[in-house]
Amino acid sequence: MDLFAVAWPYWHQFFFIIFAATAVGFGFGVLLSKNVVRMAFYLVLSLGSTAGLFFLAGAEFVGAMQLMIYVGGTLVLLIFGVMLTAQKDFINMDTHTQDWILATIVGGSLLMVLLFAAFGAEDWNTPQDLTDAKVEATKEATPLGLALTGIRVDTLGETDDAVQGGKAGYLMPFIIVSVHLLVVLIGAAYMARTKKLSHATDDKSSRAKLMLFKMEHEAELLEEETYVVTHRGQSALNPLDPQDDEN
Amino acid sequence: MADFVNHILTLEDSWIGYIVAALVAAVLILHVVAVGALLFIWMERKISGRIQDRLGPTRVGGKFGWLQTLADGIKLIAKEDVTPDLADKFLFKIAPYVGLAASYAAFIALPFADGVVGQHVNTAVFFVLAVLGLEVFSVILAGYSSGSKWSLFGAMREAAQVVSYEVPLGMCVVVPVMICGTMNLTTIANMQAGFFTNWLVFNDPFTFLTAIVYFTCATAGVNRAPFDLAEAESELVAGFHTEYSGLRWSLFFMAEYSSMFIVAALASILFFGGSHGPIPIADVLGLLSLDNLGSSDPAFHVFNEDGGGFFASLNLEIAIARFLGVANLLLKGTIGVTVMMWVRWSFPRLRIDQVMTMCLKYCVPLAAVGFLGATAWQALDLPTGNSLMNSPRYSHHELWTADDSESTVEEASSNEVQTPHEDDTHAAAKAVELKTVPVSVVKGGER
Amino acid sequence: MASSKIDDPRVIEFDVRTDEMLINMGPQHPSTHGVLRLVLRTDGEVVSDVEPHIGYLHRCAEKIGENLTARQWVPYTDRMDYLAAMNMNLGWSLVIEKMLEYDLPERGRHLRVIISEMGRIASHLVAMGTYGLDLGSFTPFLYGFREREKILNLFEEACGARLTYSYLTPGGATADLPADWTGKCRQFLAEFKEVIPELHTLLTTNSIFVSRTAGIGVMSAKMAIDYGCTGPVLRGSGVYHDLRFHGEERYTEMYDGYVFDVICADPATGKYPESNYEFHGDSLDYPEIPRQAVLGDCWHRFYVRMLEVVQSVRLVEQAIEKYEATSGDWGTPIKLVQKLPVKEAYMETEAPRGQMGFYVVGNGESIPWRVRARSSSFCNLSVTAPLCQGILLADIPAIVGSLDVVMGEIDR
Repeated sequence: MDLFAVAWPYWHQFFFIIFAATAVGFGFGVLLSKNVVRMAFYLVLSLGSTAGLFFLAGAEFVGAMQLMIYVGGTLVLLIFGVMLTAQKDFINMDTHTQDWILATIVGGSLLMVLLFAAFGAEDWNTPQDLTDAKVEATKEATPLGLALTGIRVDTLGETDDAVQGGKAGYLMPFIIVSVHLLVVLIGAAYMARTKKLSHATDDKSSRAKLMLFKMEHEAELLEEETYVVTHRGQSALNPLDPQDDEN
Repeated sequence: MADFVNHILTLEDSWIGYIVAALVAAVLILHVVAVGALLFIWMERKISGRIQDRLGPTRVGGKFGWLQTLADGIKLIAKEDVTPDLADKFLFKIAPYVGLAASYAAFIALPFADGVVGQHVNTAVFFVLAVLGLEVFSVILAGYSSGSKWSLFGAMREAAQVVSYEVPLGMCVVVPVMICGTMNLTTIANMQAGFFTNWLVFNDPFTFLTAIVYFTCATAGVNRAPFDLAEAESELVAGFHTEYSGLRWSLFFMAEYSSMFIVAALASILFFGGSHGPIPIADVLGLLSLDNLGSSDPAFHVFNEDGGGFFASLNLEIAIARFLGVANLLLKGTIGVTVMMWVRWSFPRLRIDQVMTMCLKYCVPLAAVGFLGATAWQALDLPTGNSLMNSPRYSHHELWTADDSESTVEEASSNEVQTPHEDDTHAAAKAVELKTVPVSVVKGGER
Repeated sequence: MASSKIDDPRVIEFDVRTDEMLINMGPQHPSTHGVLRLVLRTDGEVVSDVEPHIGYLHRCAEKIGENLTARQWVPYTDRMDYLAAMNMNLGWSLVIEKMLEYDLPERGRHLRVIISEMGRIASHLVAMGTYGLDLGSFTPFLYGFREREKILNLFEEACGARLTYSYLTPGGATADLPADWTGKCRQFLAEFKEVIPELHTLLTTNSIFVSRTAGIGVMSAKMAIDYGCTGPVLRGSGVYHDLRFHGEERYTEMYDGYVFDVICADPATGKYPESNYEFHGDSLDYPEIPRQAVLGDCWHRFYVRMLEVVQSVRLVEQAIEKYEATSGDWGTPIKLVQKLPVKEAYMETEAPRGQMGFYVVGNGESIPWRVRARSSSFCNLSVTAPLCQGILLADIPAIVGSLDVVMGEIDR
């Protein structure tokens, strides 16, 4: 088999094929599975394999990011949400034909755009001798981190102020994204906050109102309750019953 | 290591070397996970026994009952593997493996000593945290797929708890990363070589605070008491693993104990000097000097390049120093695990809202204070532990000035069997400096 | 409880509401103390409704009592509150003695004080240990059991059994205490006093324990009385009521000449009365009340038990002296086929879990016509439903555990 022969001597290709196959395979798993939780699980594996591809390409920081943010963060919340909200009707999803058609059109056009862009890149068109290729890990994530805080270490040698100014780091986008996230967090906290009864009193069926009512009238209810002392029940054999003595 | 294997097998850049190296690393790490779990479960039983004024296991395996876990393991293997009727069978069966795989994978990037690491990852701190965070999937899937309400409760608690505690945990981890200016665990550990005053926990009061917050959050992150809500037996029967039995059940435990060790080992690397002991014995004996630190290849320095056979090329001094380093880290990790056990058998369990309060109202602000304080300490150049004791700190040198990065590109394109840290261009930079702060280096780069 | 403020923490309404879940907690569940079954209605972690179901340990003990003679039924009382079997024996013995108008000799009286107070210590130790277990702390359980073992050893020497003693019988006890028993008992008390501060460190003053119990399951004095709660549950709410002081004369005269305190906080100040008992030389028997604790909450119920243990130690110390000062008959057990008079008798004693009452009707034969037991745990359990509304799931073991119910006594 050609594929095997190609892959075998070169580790990176070999692992690339493994990771790519896993990512694509479980991607199809997401598409074809009907159980929502399984879909989410396949998505975990698919995105995890994508992280593997990043590691393979030497982009360790991005790979770890992928694991932490997509797999560890987003998908945990996704599964969490699915688990809590999905009822029987939604656990098993049937996709209608029109959904398939729509999804094919949208997904297909997106795929075309991606393929076009990918094969438009020059490196992809140029045949390369890969036998000597050796993937080296990038040095550190430090330059990236510094760039995020506005210091581009790769341009420190730049003497031209105009060029230097043009490569001013990514502080501004970073701040914008952070503020955006903060807004989202505050919004989420606002949505999920517990509401005191005073906001809910208009709701007639409010459980809180019922609770309040019960608590308000608890003392009265207890007082009104008469302690019914049931009579011991007269038995013909009761030795203490005066009627029994006659027997 | 692959190159070394090829070297002694007199092969040229062959894939056999990679396979052998990968297998050796995988088997070694598997032993840390499996044998570690055996040891830790036995330890847990002995420690809990001693704390509770009883003996713990005494008979299996002769003295101290040290084979008790093995006997239990055999019993568990022999047990029936029950899958409930209501379970989602596929997810139920696969969930324990997910957890074990996650905690096993985190070991890949954990340096046991300078250079003794499965795979050298530059962003190792991040990698370990990210991979360890995946363990939550096993709990969620197990809880969901069991088809039991108690399991579902356990899974919900676990998800909420782990996602919350990753925030302060990440913030605490950033502090050593910030001080050392690298995410490379090997380098972070090496920067704490020397006397214990070099340990980052004694760097300044804020790192001390951060170390404590880190350990608290790590305990919560791996679901140990008093944060073991996902398996709170008094409330949730057994939480997420209520429906599990036999080997699958024991896989959860293996994952739990190896995660405990990982977070403890990470704590020792980040704050307690990693593979370097409180007193640099290896250094004093002349086995190891600061100069030959910082390799990413386990075989590097241990074996001479030009040696003939295995023993002829063995650099015994460095091999012993590495061995001491591994022993050091394992000991420190075990101490951390022991502390977790001690806590577990002393305290009651917190309630879910208290766990969340603890995270959001105490741990996150404290971690933030620790981070800001440590940053300010570095920025203001206040005296640190190592500067007070006048003990120099090994300083790593990354290639992030413009000139250096050019040389790196050249080096990367060449086929030399050298890792970035050992090349000659940085020998000068490796001269011991008192302190390395990213800010000062950036200033230096402007010249 | 009766207060209804709009900012009451129990009154909450969620914007994001999940579906309610109906959960069976028990009868096989680690923290329901045997076979109690609680049906919970929960919204996420918040429990909106709790309904206790009982009867899983019903063994027709009362009906059996109507087919056996008074002495033959003694072993069945053991199996009611199996953690305080001595006190169960005592309750049954006293009610039969009341019926027969039998007066116990002096030595037997002190023997009963020793035995029943030791039984109280053993029972409260289990209550303390299992409460720790309910809150996820395993170690206090074994500390409690270690001390209880010593008590059981003493009981074993006295009567040969370790759980179901049948030692105290109508008429006295099956045997006098062995020759060197009191010396061993003294030694145990001396050792036990050293342990009590340890238990306080492990639980009472532990900050996690306090945060789990203080302010949880608050029961007002009125509510406790309304629901018929007795024992430490009642006194934890600040009601000064202990049958050893306030009971029938036939029972209280057993404690004539003894000095001890009723452990109950003053509702006005929320403070426990200063003990005049020199324990350990300092005030270790009274750890400070934490700031968060409210009178009538789980913490106070637990605390009352812990302090009662000290008072029981104090009582046993006095009883041993009095016992050793007397000699002669310790009370001969009644005949196995002793005929009961045609009359009824009812009597309540202060068992570790509350007021344990026995009711017996005789019809002139040796087999009683009617036997009934008034269970303390049964009434104490009845507050579960009102206390467990709007709390978190993890509070249920905390509340049920603080009531310290024994299902054998409830289901009989």
